[in-house]
Amino acid sequence: MGELAKAMAYLSAGLGVGITVFGVGSGIGRLAAAALEAASRQPEAAGDARTTMIIAAALIEGTALFAIIVCILLAFK
Amino acid sequence: MYTIPAENLLADQSEHHKDAHDTSSTSHSDAHSSSAHDSHDLSNVPKEQVFEHLLGELGDHHGLYWGPYHIADLPHMVYTNGTEFYYYPNTKALLESGKFTFDKKHQIISTATQEKPWFDLSITNLVFYQWVVMLIVFFVLITAGRKAKKAKGDAPKGVHNLIEVVAVYIRDEVVMQNVGSKKVGERLMPYFLGLFFFILGANLFGLLPGMHTYTGAIGVTAALAITAFVIINLTAIKEAGIKAWLHHLLGGAPAWLAPIMIPIEIVGLITKPFALTVRLFANMTAGHIILLSLVGLILFFKSLVWAPIAVSFSVFIYFLELLVAFLQAYIFTLLTAVFIGLALGDHAHEEHAHH
Repeated sequence: MGELAKAMAYLSAGLGVGITVFGVGSGIGRLAAAALEAASRQPEAAGDARTTMIIAAALIEGTALFAIIVCILLAFK
Repeated sequence: MYTIPAENLLADQSEHHKDAHDTSSTSHSDAHSSSAHDSHDLSNVPKEQVFEHLLGELGDHHGLYWGPYHIADLPHMVYTNGTEFYYYPNTKALLESGKFTFDKKHQIISTATQEKPWFDLSITNLVFYQWVVMLIVFFVLITAGRKAKKAKGDAPKGVHNLIEVVAVYIRDEVVMQNVGSKKVGERLMPYFLGLFFFILGANLFGLLPGMHTYTGAIGVTAALAITAFVIINLTAIKEAGIKAWLHHLLGGAPAWLAPIMIPIEIVGLITKPFALTVRLFANMTAGHIILLSLVGLILFFKSLVWAPIAVSFSVFIYFLELLVAFLQAYIFTLLTAVFIGLALGDHAHEEHAHH
C-alpha cells in the first residue's frame, strides 16, 4: 500500500468519525429533547419516557459503534 | 487467550512506528520490545512511544502489575496439537524450558517452529481480576441474600440495604416491564442480577488505581453477549415453542418470501449480541483511553506544567466514567431484557390475557 493510500485511509477514518459523531449527536439530542418535552408535559409518565429514551439512545449508539469500528479498521489497517 | 483489538492495533502501530525509526536508529525498537513486557517503567521510554505504552496497559499481560510494580507472575498453560499439555508456574520457567518463547506481541510461540500453540490457556491478569470480582460479587450477594432472609419484615440495613435497592429496581423497572411475562421474568431474575452485578463490579473495579477493567476486553463482552444470545433464543423456544420461533424467522411475510426473509431475520438475530458486545467494549475502552491519554500528556512533554491541566481533566473524566460504569451495566441488562421481550413477542401477552 502506497503512502498516498495510507494517507487517504487516515483521512477517511478521521472524516468518518467526525460525520458519525455529528449524526449520532444530533440524533440523540433530538431524542433527549423529545423525551424531556414528553416528561414535562406529562410528569407522571416521566419514568416510561426515560426508559424508552435510553433504549432508543442505545440503539442509535449501536449504529454509531458500527461506523466507528469501520473507521478504526481504516485507521489501523 | 483473549486477544484485544486495542493491543493488536497498537502492536501494528508500533511496527509501523518501528519501520519509521529503524532507518534512524535501532535502539528505539529494542527498548520498546524489551521494556514492554519486562517492566512497566515509563521513565526510559522515548516520547513518541509514551502513548503506545500507556495504551498497552489496557491489554492483558502474563504478569500481575500494580501500576509499575510487578507483583507476581501468572501461570502459563499451553496445549499443543490438542493432546500435549504444558504447565509453567511463571514466565521464567517457560523461558527456561526452551520449548516456548514470546513473539513481539507477547504471544506464546514455539521455539522450534515459531508457530502459535494450538490453544493458549494461560491465566492472564484480566482472567485473574475476573476471578477477584466474581468472588467479591458472590460474597456480597450471598451476604445480602442471607440478611434479607433473616430480616423478614424489618427495615434493611447495611449490605442488604445497598443491594436490595438495586435488585428491586432491576426486578421491577428493568426485567418485569420489558420481558412482559411475569413467569419468565421471575425465572430469569438470577441471570439478570448476576449479569448486572458482574458488569458493574468489573466497571467499578477498573476505576480503582492500578486495576484493569476486563469489560474493556472484547473477549469478555463477546462471551457475555453470546450467553445473552443463547438465553434469548432458548427462552423464546421454550415459551413459544420451536414452531413459533421458526415462524418468527419469516417475519410475518408470506411463505414464498422465505429465501429473502430468513437470511435477513438471522442477521437481525446476530446483530443484537454483536451490538451488545461492541457497545460495552467500546464504552469501557474509550474512557480508559481518554484517561491514559490525558496522563500521557505529562510524560509526552516531560514537564510538570501540564500536570494541573491533565489532572483536572482526568478527574472530570473519572466522574464521567463512574456514571458510564453504572449506565453500561444498566443498558446491557435492560437491552437483554428488551430482546427477550421482543423474542417472546405476543406469546407473553397471551399469558396476561389468561390471568
